[in-house]
Amino acid sequence: MTTRVEMKNVHKQYGNNDVIKGVDLQVQDNEVVVLIGPSGAGKSTVLRMINGLETTTSGSIMIDNVDIAKPGVNINAIREKIGMVFQHFNLFPNMSVRDNITLAPIELGVMDKATANAEADKLLATVGLSEKADEMPNSLSGGQKQRVAIARALAMKPEIMLFDEPTSALDPEMVGDVLAVMRKLARQGMTMVIVTHEMGFAKEVADRVVFFGDGHILEQGTPEQIFDHPNHPRLQTFLNQVLNA
Amino acid sequence: MKRSWFWTALVATFITVVAFLAPQSVHAAEKTYTIGTDVTFAPFEFANKDNQYVGIDIDLMNAIAKTEGFKVNIKPLGFNAAVQALEAKQIDGVIAGMSITPERQAKFAMSDPYYTSGVVGAAKTGAHIKSLNDLRGKKVAVKTGTASADYVNSIKKKYNLTVVTFDDSNNVYQDVITGNSAACFEDQPVMQYGIATGLALKIFTKPAESGTYGIAIKKGEPELLAKVNAGIKKLKANGQYDKIVAKYLGTGSNKSQKEKNDSTQETDHSFLGLLKTNSGTLMGGLGETLLLTVVAIVCATVVGILIGLLGVIPNKLAQGTATTFIYIFRGLPLMVLALLIYTGIPSLTGTKIPAFVAGIVTLTLNEGAYTAAFVKGGIGSVDKGQMEAARSLGLPWSKAMRRVILPQGIKIMIPSFINQFIITLKDTSILSVIGLLELTQTGKIIIARNMEGFKIWTMVALMYLIIITLLTWLSNWVQKKVNA
Repeated sequence: MTTRVEMKNVHKQYGNNDVIKGVDLQVQDNEVVVLIGPSGAGKSTVLRMINGLETTTSGSIMIDNVDIAKPGVNINAIREKIGMVFQHFNLFPNMSVRDNITLAPIELGVMDKATANAEADKLLATVGLSEKADEMPNSLSGGQKQRVAIARALAMKPEIMLFDEPTSALDPEMVGDVLAVMRKLARQGMTMVIVTHEMGFAKEVADRVVFFGDGHILEQGTPEQIFDHPNHPRLQTFLNQVLNA
Repeated sequence: MKRSWFWTALVATFITVVAFLAPQSVHAAEKTYTIGTDVTFAPFEFANKDNQYVGIDIDLMNAIAKTEGFKVNIKPLGFNAAVQALEAKQIDGVIAGMSITPERQAKFAMSDPYYTSGVVGAAKTGAHIKSLNDLRGKKVAVKTGTASADYVNSIKKKYNLTVVTFDDSNNVYQDVITGNSAACFEDQPVMQYGIATGLALKIFTKPAESGTYGIAIKKGEPELLAKVNAGIKKLKANGQYDKIVAKYLGTGSNKSQKEKNDSTQETDHSFLGLLKTNSGTLMGGLGETLLLTVVAIVCATVVGILIGLLGVIPNKLAQGTATTFIYIFRGLPLMVLALLIYTGIPSLTGTKIPAFVAGIVTLTLNEGAYTAAFVKGGIGSVDKGQMEAARSLGLPWSKAMRRVILPQGIKIMIPSFINQFIITLKDTSILSVIGLLELTQTGKIIIARNMEGFKIWTMVALMYLIIITLLTWLSNWVQKKVNA
């Protein structure tokens, strides 16, 4: 097993406020890790640290043996191999669905235009939106937008995918389509780190579930351990609240 | 990290700034002197109906140059602009009915007196003002920096007068005609000219000896001063001087003044008649206004966008530079900035700045600051998630900015751009203070001759409105294209 992401004793402060208080987290190749926990526990912040969208105060974050917490690191090269999907999709409204997907590969010189377009059409087929290639993002439903966002993140052929609450902004009937795409990715062996409140989905796809509370990792383990035999009292309270809501 | 785009932008900013600050080399041909003059001081200097500058001062200056064998380039700049240009050593002298005062003698080399002025007071025809005593406790109007202003200041305590000052003679007269001031004071020939042209004013005092007119010469030009003094002496001796004065003043009576005026005046003072006679002059002013507007819009937009972008670069120094630029140039009133650049910088550096360049720099800095502010704001108003999404794909900051953020920001900014273009067009009128012959200044000059303020300002206003309407249509069309 190869370690793709290794966070060691990571801290983050906003002024005098400690947000992340010493997190150690590893993600192995082909592993699907799901981060759960109450709001404000720090799970999204930790996820965003993995591609450098969030800075750290101290500690190290090794991505394939490069410490991206160090100043002067070429973060763009790291980001090329880490795809990210956001809660609010963040599609570029000024370009078509196809151009959203081909922007990075063309701009970064990874593919020529024809290859990128062909690749985009393939990706759109994978997420079930072939007929939407020429539409503008604003004409799509939330679920469609999020599937395009996944296709866009996959266009750079990333080795790791980060999902930051990908279904939280969706109407309930749209959630299934997005989860289906993610499930497919997981089965294909994509290394994934997912922040989600979809406990059923977490149980189904996760190799490991990590429970965050108050800027710490309080407990982690297989879905069975976490959902069926929770140890930490905070985890037990959390699961009670989420599952009985 | 590749930031080639950012560096290109930075270098472009630098080049623009250097280009603006570079001294304008002006090579004066040997023995040609540039003399500034007022534009609205009939009958000493004013534009006749053919838009030629004529008047006692103009003819006198040309005659002096002829007898003394030098060339003269008379620049109608407006009184304040001319004096400031001389102070900044941008011109060699000023002839504009300037009274010889100790202050002026300290600053400039003043020639020997060429005219003895007599200040008279005038009130509205039909007003019960017969002497200075009737003015007690009332308001009087004068033109700034004139002998009459000095005279009024010397008697204001005695008669308890409140003095209001204007830059243009016509505004002085209008203040009395509209009843804001009880009377105005002006040199006798100037007042007589106005009344003969149709002002509803009546002179109620005898000319008070108030001083003498001299030609102001730049310090350090003793040769020119000597020639001017010699010329005045010769012309007075050979009778040419008296001829020049009589050409504009007649025998001194109202009737002969009227006859003299008619040779320089429009015959038809109806709106259409005035429009017909002055359309060429007004169109010339409009052309200058449009040229100023277009050049200023282009420069201000380029500078504004660059400074605005500097303001969003994730770098404290860049952001600080942008904030300071916006703070200073948005904070300074346009007129102050124009005078500061046109007269202040040359007095510091000793290099001349042509009025047009000074005007463009002024507009570029001021409008550029406003543009920078809304460019910065427009970019800032694009959802932060857009930048994060672009960066998460591995795009460098500059590429993300150019391909994702700017196209969205510009859409937000378009109404602000249109607004700024219209403001720029209107703001060019303020540049009349540095003597630029744009539409507003052209209007002032015509009014100084024919005293038809209301009709001429109506024409000027309509011309601005027509251009602004066209500009708005064009902008709306562009906006539709962009949003389509």
